[in-house]
Amino acid sequence: MTHYLTDPLQYVFIQRALVAAVIIGVLCAALGTFVVLRRMAVVGHALTHSALPGLVIAYLMGTSLFAGALIATVATALGIGFLARDENVYEDTLVGMVPNIMFAFGILLISTTRSFRDLFSMLFGNILGVTEGDLHLIMLIAAVSLLALFLFYKELKLFSVDPNYAKTIGLPVKLMHYGILLFLSFTVVVGIQAVGTVLTNALLVIPVAAARLLTDRLGRMMALSCVFAVISAIGGIYLSYYFGSASGASIVMFASLIFAIAWIGSKFR
Amino acid sequence: MTSFMLTYSNMKFSYCQHRHDAPDPKAPALEIKGLGVSYASEEKLALKDFDISVPAGSAMALVGPNGAGKSTLFKAICGLLPVRTGNIRVFGHPLGACHHRVVYLPQRSEIDWHFPISVLDLVVMGRYVYLGWFNRPQKRDIDIARHALKEMNVLDLADRQISKLSGGQQQRVLIARALSQNADLLLLDEPLNAVDVSTRQTVAEVLHKIKAQGKTVIVATHYYDQEEGRYDKAIYLKDGKKISGADHKEDPTHKDCDCT
Repeated sequence: MTHYLTDPLQYVFIQRALVAAVIIGVLCAALGTFVVLRRMAVVGHALTHSALPGLVIAYLMGTSLFAGALIATVATALGIGFLARDENVYEDTLVGMVPNIMFAFGILLISTTRSFRDLFSMLFGNILGVTEGDLHLIMLIAAVSLLALFLFYKELKLFSVDPNYAKTIGLPVKLMHYGILLFLSFTVVVGIQAVGTVLTNALLVIPVAAARLLTDRLGRMMALSCVFAVISAIGGIYLSYYFGSASGASIVMFASLIFAIAWIGSKFR
Repeated sequence: MTSFMLTYSNMKFSYCQHRHDAPDPKAPALEIKGLGVSYASEEKLALKDFDISVPAGSAMALVGPNGAGKSTLFKAICGLLPVRTGNIRVFGHPLGACHHRVVYLPQRSEIDWHFPISVLDLVVMGRYVYLGWFNRPQKRDIDIARHALKEMNVLDLADRQISKLSGGQQQRVLIARALSQNADLLLLDEPLNAVDVSTRQTVAEVLHKIKAQGKTVIVATHYYDQEEGRYDKAIYLKDGKKISGADHKEDPTHKDCDCT
């Protein structure tokens, strides 16, 4: 029976995929907690989709896809912040509009190459194709982001629950807002590796939404989100191994299943 | 290792780069001259040409209908809104020099009450200004927060999730957070608005206690007629301007507020 669990582990690419998935899951869930609680889920959606043109340009130029995606998401995050200053442009409209524009731009660029094969892994992720180098980069980004979350946990908590009070005691709230966007961009770029531009937001939001149903405490919620994300990531990879399904979509479907169970569980609590 | 931990726990990384100045004993708690304030995108001033001097240790009521500029004034004093004209001095220092000495009690609607933390967690936030970056709340901070909850008669709610509080309990908890900051100038925005009778009584007792400790309190209120005796002085606001008490009494709109 246990050979079902151990069989896939003989392949190095599966081992790498599992390690990457666990790290990405923890990172997405930990940062996703603040994204969900600060009602920034739609911003996550905007950023994930906006990475596409960056990925395509980097691909066409033969440079690092990570760098391309990172530049595109950071530029979008700052762009939305800048354009939203004009009060005649509603921020929620912007957040709805920008990803469509960026996504269309990405598709336009890739259509000029007449090769849609690589587009598929950009859109839906390819965790089974993670290289040694990718893994190192994922580890580095996760370590820096999780360290920042740990160091500024107290301030992030205050900033989320009562931003005005945070400002009155001298916290640099604007800087913190942009800081969250920056780390969100990092996380999105890492998440794209696992589940692609279309589905990364799901990894940021679904495990957290499930955890929120089951607890009223921030610390527990964060821990539970990470557990859910890791289970989804591992479960998704096994699903993909045995049924040949797309790995990114399998991970997201696993997370959705957990959400459904949590929702039912919360009704009977 | 132990000595490193000790050194680390004594280190302070204040949120604000300004020096935390000691109050000037001769200066009033609050002195405002020619203040003009507007909300970020608006041309129109929400508060115009406003002067005030509040001596340390006094209790003052700020009276006026909704939209008169009471919250605007408070927000300008604690740095939430930019000062367009004039200047504000707190205990003799310009704004931002002594964040920990001023505390603003916001209206309840400005807090995200669905955030997953306990009442005690929220009240301990009143201590953050002393902790600064990287330091976690210590036992002393928790004790101060619990004491503040006790003063507001809500210590039994310490472990409750903040979304499970009634309006009166929310108000008590927010006041407890303000108390745990141990500020010298308290700006309370409508602390009595839409709360039950017992909360109103607790708030009144605590205000009395704060004043007895030599602290300065400014309360924005709709209820001035009923509690005139509690304040040393009242300032009346209308349309962003200071008006005299007599003008306020003659103004038919001041009866319109939902005082019940």
